[in-house]
Amino acid sequence: MEGVVPPGTSTQSEVPKPTKEERVDYMNLPCPIPYEEIHRESFMSLKPELFEGMRFDFTKLLNPNFALSHSVYMGPTAIPSQSSETIKIPTAQYEFGANFIDPKLMLVGRVLTDGRLTTRVKCDLTDRLSIKVNAQLTNEPHMSHGIVNIDYKGKDYRTQFQLGNGALFGANYIQSVTPHLSLGGEVFWAGQHRKSGVGYAARYETDKMVAAGQVATTGMVALSYVQKVSEKVSLASDLIYNYMSRDVTASAGYDYILRQCRLRGKIDSNGCASAFLEERLNMGFKFILSAEIDHIRKDYKFGFGITVGE
Amino acid sequence: MASRVSLKSKGKASGKGSKGSQEEKSLAQSFKEWSTWTVKKAKVITHYGFIPLVIIIGMNSEPKPHISQLLSPV
Repeated sequence: MEGVVPPGTSTQSEVPKPTKEERVDYMNLPCPIPYEEIHRESFMSLKPELFEGMRFDFTKLLNPNFALSHSVYMGPTAIPSQSSETIKIPTAQYEFGANFIDPKLMLVGRVLTDGRLTTRVKCDLTDRLSIKVNAQLTNEPHMSHGIVNIDYKGKDYRTQFQLGNGALFGANYIQSVTPHLSLGGEVFWAGQHRKSGVGYAARYETDKMVAAGQVATTGMVALSYVQKVSEKVSLASDLIYNYMSRDVTASAGYDYILRQCRLRGKIDSNGCASAFLEERLNMGFKFILSAEIDHIRKDYKFGFGITVGE
Repeated sequence: MASRVSLKSKGKASGKGSKGSQEEKSLAQSFKEWSTWTVKKAKVITHYGFIPLVIIIGMNSEPKPHISQLLSPV
């Protein structure tokens, strides 16, 4: 009946309607999202790229597929220190990047003034098999690392193998069990750090909400819940608990996606409140404000910037 | 030659064992050294050559941008 089914519904997933009882077709389940993106919605809402200082990004499209980017950053950078006080050193850096994005091949490279290169390569060999390579190369010896991921996408499952330097091996698998629920597991072995682990994940998603949970033998338990209150407003919360070190962090935040701006705010159980605003001024200019206030550690970070181009 | 072969076969088991393992060790070691050398060279090549490779691939894709577009900020 045309009145009951909204025109935008895809033919693959069955959305249960209150007026009509539909039998779930277990042979035709939708393909689940990749295992590493199981917390995707809560990451997007709760973890914006907060920074301190001034940032200027300029992206220039030479081609619909090819772009060059220049980025300048000036501000204090925190150095990991043993004492409870954070040590910050003022730095200034310029980063040059080149992106080539094709339907089948994606190459992204960024190089900093101190010689650090970050690259991402994604190649779709067939429409089911794809290879991704992520690498960070530095001039210092033994500080570079790289990971190769081989992904296979089946009809209602996905599987991935990972190989990294330092004898890192990993594999994960995720399967759609009902139109809304997908379950997955992962196994990894890190030779250099002598760590290995098994993990499980589950994700329940409807139009209005997404709930995801992940447990691993490394002691990590991560739960997240995102409620899409409307098209413009999302509320998200997450809980990260390490049962080995008894460390708990809970955070709750909001994400307003409005016509001219996107505002994300979050408050943490560590006494840290943060906000991130991206305001689109006319003609491809975006103005960014970032603030993070940590009352417990007395660390106050404020940043501003402008992004030109896409 | 024959005497050398017979000497080898008459040698102590431990001596023969060590000589055999020395040969195996050198094979495995040379393989390891060769693979380490390859990985080191590959890292240097990637470090210097990745961004120029992306630029070359981009400049040769359709529609071909002009080289002045690469350098100018507009």
